[in-house]
Amino acid sequence: MRGNGTNMTKISAKNVNVFYGSKQALFDVSLDIMDKEVTALIGPSGCGKSTFLRCLNRMNDVIDICKVEGSIKMDELELNSRKLDVVRLRENVGMVFQKPNPFPKTIYENVSYGPTIHGMAQSKSELDQIVEMSLKKAALWEEVKDRLDEIGTGLSGGQQQRLCIARAISVSPEVILMDEPCSALDPIATAQIEELIDDLKKEHTIVIVTHSMSQAARVSQKTGFFHLGKLIEFGDTEKIFKNPDNQQTQDYITGRFG
Amino acid sequence: MNLVLISLILLLGFSSYYFGRKKATIIQSSQRLTALPKFYGYYLAIWCAAPALIIFSLWSVFEPTIVKNFILADYLDQNLTKNELQLIYTKVKALALGTYTGDINNFLDNSAGKYIQIKNMANNAKIVIVLAALILSLSYAYQSIKKNNRMREPVEIFLKWVLFTASLAAVLVTIGIVFSLLFEAIRFFQSVRIFDFIFGTHWYPAKTFVRDGQPDPELMKDAFGAVPLFAGTFFIAFIAMCVAIPVGLLSGIYLAEYATRKVRKYAKPIIEILAGIPTVVYGFFAALTVGPFVKEIGNSLGLEVSSESALAAGAVMGVMIIPFISSLSDDVISAVPQNLRDGSYAMGATKSETIKKVIFPAALPGIVGSILLAVSRAVGETMIVVMASGLAANLTANPLESTSTITAQIVVILIGDQQFGDPKTQAAFALGISLFVVTLFLNVIALTVVKKYREKYE
Repeated sequence: MRGNGTNMTKISAKNVNVFYGSKQALFDVSLDIMDKEVTALIGPSGCGKSTFLRCLNRMNDVIDICKVEGSIKMDELELNSRKLDVVRLRENVGMVFQKPNPFPKTIYENVSYGPTIHGMAQSKSELDQIVEMSLKKAALWEEVKDRLDEIGTGLSGGQQQRLCIARAISVSPEVILMDEPCSALDPIATAQIEELIDDLKKEHTIVIVTHSMSQAARVSQKTGFFHLGKLIEFGDTEKIFKNPDNQQTQDYITGRFG
Repeated sequence: MNLVLISLILLLGFSSYYFGRKKATIIQSSQRLTALPKFYGYYLAIWCAAPALIIFSLWSVFEPTIVKNFILADYLDQNLTKNELQLIYTKVKALALGTYTGDINNFLDNSAGKYIQIKNMANNAKIVIVLAALILSLSYAYQSIKKNNRMREPVEIFLKWVLFTASLAAVLVTIGIVFSLLFEAIRFFQSVRIFDFIFGTHWYPAKTFVRDGQPDPELMKDAFGAVPLFAGTFFIAFIAMCVAIPVGLLSGIYLAEYATRKVRKYAKPIIEILAGIPTVVYGFFAALTVGPFVKEIGNSLGLEVSSESALAAGAVMGVMIIPFISSLSDDVISAVPQNLRDGSYAMGATKSETIKKVIFPAALPGIVGSILLAVSRAVGETMIVVMASGLAANLTANPLESTSTITAQIVVILIGDQQFGDPKTQAAFALGISLFVVTLFLNVIALTVVKKYREKYE
């Protein structure tokens, strides 16, 4: 699968260290995420890949004891700075979680949530349009267009996850972070999401954390392998999976540990 | 005597446990046991003690009635009323026990002799029958152990029945209380029309008091109108909720969402101390501090304030209920799954937006449930209103006047001397059952709402 990237760096992380209290979770991670590409982060559980992902939209702020050091730049904007407007950042960097987490509200309200709090729509019809566009992009429109006023939590797992994707893209973020988006889904729903990721990368930069190496190989252009809080190897997906430089990467990919 | 018998049964029970266990180890040497040795012990102990104790308690329950019937059989031809018969029986018993001080006639004396005789006979018979039952069941159980029958099932079944009996007792007591309320209330409604009670606007039971004789039915009609009490109850509960809901809810939200772990660790117990203060303390706080304070402020504003006002009682009651609402809403808000918060934050929502638009709606059913439980507490609260809101049942919507509640009136009716069978006394039961119906209704709604909320997230 070839990337359609513009070969521009979207996010550049330099020497990122993360601490939970006294425990260090990430050691000196540096990597560049390319614009309009899918970057996959793989590695065994507890290796720090989700922690790194959460640095990119400052979700670690929610955890009191978490401290992030180093520099993360997105288009010249320093993300790891006290002065950063977190609300603006999250408008620009959407996130999809491991477990589908639609709000216990209607499907319409779920998707219109972001545009409403950011004041993106001037009128009801404009909002309707955003909701329709987002659901269409998330390949959910056909399934729910007649029941937008039903509760979002009543959908199937795969539909809920696509609803969460629709919610994330409703504010047209430049970057979408996905934290194991398919781990709670069956193979068919997983295939739908993967297809969707392929579509989304035309307009968005995507960073996906996944446990499934085959998924990383299918959807991504760049892959980073994390182990014990360190970024072991980072490069083109094809290279990582066919001919990795590092023995540990090789071992993990061939299933010898992890 | 009874104490000795019970101790004997229990002692035998305990020793048969060890005996049964020992027997099992002997059986073990020749064949495989059907259960652990201790089950043999339990089995023998149960069969030893349970039948004997059951017969003992049944006997103790029915003996007095049977003895009474034997004694009173001699008096049946005298055409006495039930109350007179009861009086005679009391005299006979007193005479037999040597505590009687009135006139003694032959007839009574005879009966007392007969009473002592029957009582002795009954006692001996009881001991014989109970011990016989014990020996019979014990030997049956011993045979069954010797045959190495299955031991686990009977023990488990017995335990099940013990637990069942405990819950049955709790249920029966509840039903009993409700029915005693109900019967007295029905007797009340025989002398006061239910319509007058529910819709009457004038509560003044004292005026029906007539020495020796039936009160004037016209007076009755106008003395037991419960509307002022219902109005007063809900009015004070309303004032209490005006204090408790905002403060309780906001502090609950603060504790659940904003407070750091350290603040929460100290603040929550302190708020909950409020719930541990006895209501009588709140009562005199309301009567001696808040009441005069309200009056002073009112007077300085040129308002006429009675020193026992609905406002003072309601406000203090509200303070009492704050921890109730704050603690429950803290719990339901904390129970909202973290991933909903994450979802909202990741969309760029601020903390207050997240609370307002995601967490609060998700927790709303639980919060409503906790508020309804709090209301039913406010409605049933007694001490504060007795001490601080006055006892005159005024029908008023002015929080500065004194008013009275259902609970306060029940207290007024039932303290001091009262005559059973008097409508004034029975009115307490009618009030009690209406209060019971109201709080039951509130609790049922609250629990249904809370349950629905639980189903959604678990």
